[in-house]
Amino acid sequence: MVDKFKVAQPWLTLLARLILGAVLLVAGALKVPNLPKSAMAVRAYEMLPIPVANFLGYTLPWIEIGLGLLLIVGVTVKISGALGGLTMLAFIIAIAQAWARGLSIDCGCFGGGGAIDPEDTKYLSEISEIIRDIGLMGLGIFLYLYPKGRFAIEK
Amino acid sequence: MAANSGPDKGTRNLVIAMVAFIVAVGIIFSFISNRASSNFAIPAAVSEADGYGIVLNPTATPTIDVWVDYQCPACRTFEVLNGGYLNEIIAQKKAKVVFHPLTFIGAESIIAANAAACAADENKFVDMNLALFQNQAGSENSGKWQGDVMLAIGESIGIKSESFKQCVREGNYVKWTRNVTDASASKNVNSTPTIRINGKDLDRNTEYGDPVKFKAALAAGGVK
Repeated sequence: MVDKFKVAQPWLTLLARLILGAVLLVAGALKVPNLPKSAMAVRAYEMLPIPVANFLGYTLPWIEIGLGLLLIVGVTVKISGALGGLTMLAFIIAIAQAWARGLSIDCGCFGGGGAIDPEDTKYLSEISEIIRDIGLMGLGIFLYLYPKGRFAIEK
Repeated sequence: MAANSGPDKGTRNLVIAMVAFIVAVGIIFSFISNRASSNFAIPAAVSEADGYGIVLNPTATPTIDVWVDYQCPACRTFEVLNGGYLNEIIAQKKAKVVFHPLTFIGAESIIAANAAACAADENKFVDMNLALFQNQAGSENSGKWQGDVMLAIGESIGIKSESFKQCVREGNYVKWTRNVTDASASKNVNSTPTIRINGKDLDRNTEYGDPVKFKAALAAGGVK
């Protein structure tokens, strides 16, 4: 059993890197063409002071791209995985608190975002967003624990 | 994990440096390209103190602020349900009404917002506002609002002047739309449509989609 994990772990690390990296890269790249909208999506969570939310709306997509690139090529996997996991944790908290307060918002995860027509927020979508982000956070934790994998620049 | 061989470490550091460079340049470029303009033309009816919105009845009270994106379907619904009453308020000078055309949905929103501002200079903003929603395409940035379509929409409400044509074709107020966006961000506008009376949000869940409740909300805010 232990031996099997030893064999599989580098491949699992590779898989985790590619999935988390690609999600971060795509999520960031989709937001970059419309950063004012990204800032609006962050404001809509009503968690942060407006200037901080606006700043985050402009910077977070680029940070997602950066983390995504690092994970895909396999550099600073331990730290990038941890930061990716922390980013997901922040999203989970943001979505959950918005849901608990009954805010009708689009998560803005892949572009879009902002307050929306209440009829368009389905509770199901919040649950699935949270489950997805928990899964991605798990990948980040895995990468923090087992950063060494196949096909990485970092040996 | 680090540094058991020389070349690998060099590659690693180079990759880190390149990624950091991309992120840093991206962030800097994003802030520069999206910051509010300082050198730009504004329509005559626009007031900086009112968040660069187009102001109708500047001396009336109370103040109603309306943030819309001309491509936003919910804004069209709002216009269909409540636009008539809002226009009545404007015509009878029962309130100061400030329109803030936002451009979150993209290129064609900018084209429409520019055309609306050009129409404001012809004293036709209210008609143009309605006409834009009536001509909204079924999908966002569909290619419908390109070229001289804005001129045709203007003509349909009786704007035929050369100054309007020039204003639309040259995009005189394109830069101004960035300032509208910037001002709305500092006022925590997170959605379109957003309607405020004397700075207070109307209830998105109930008062946008029901003309009776909309009227009641405005009356509660002081519209007689």
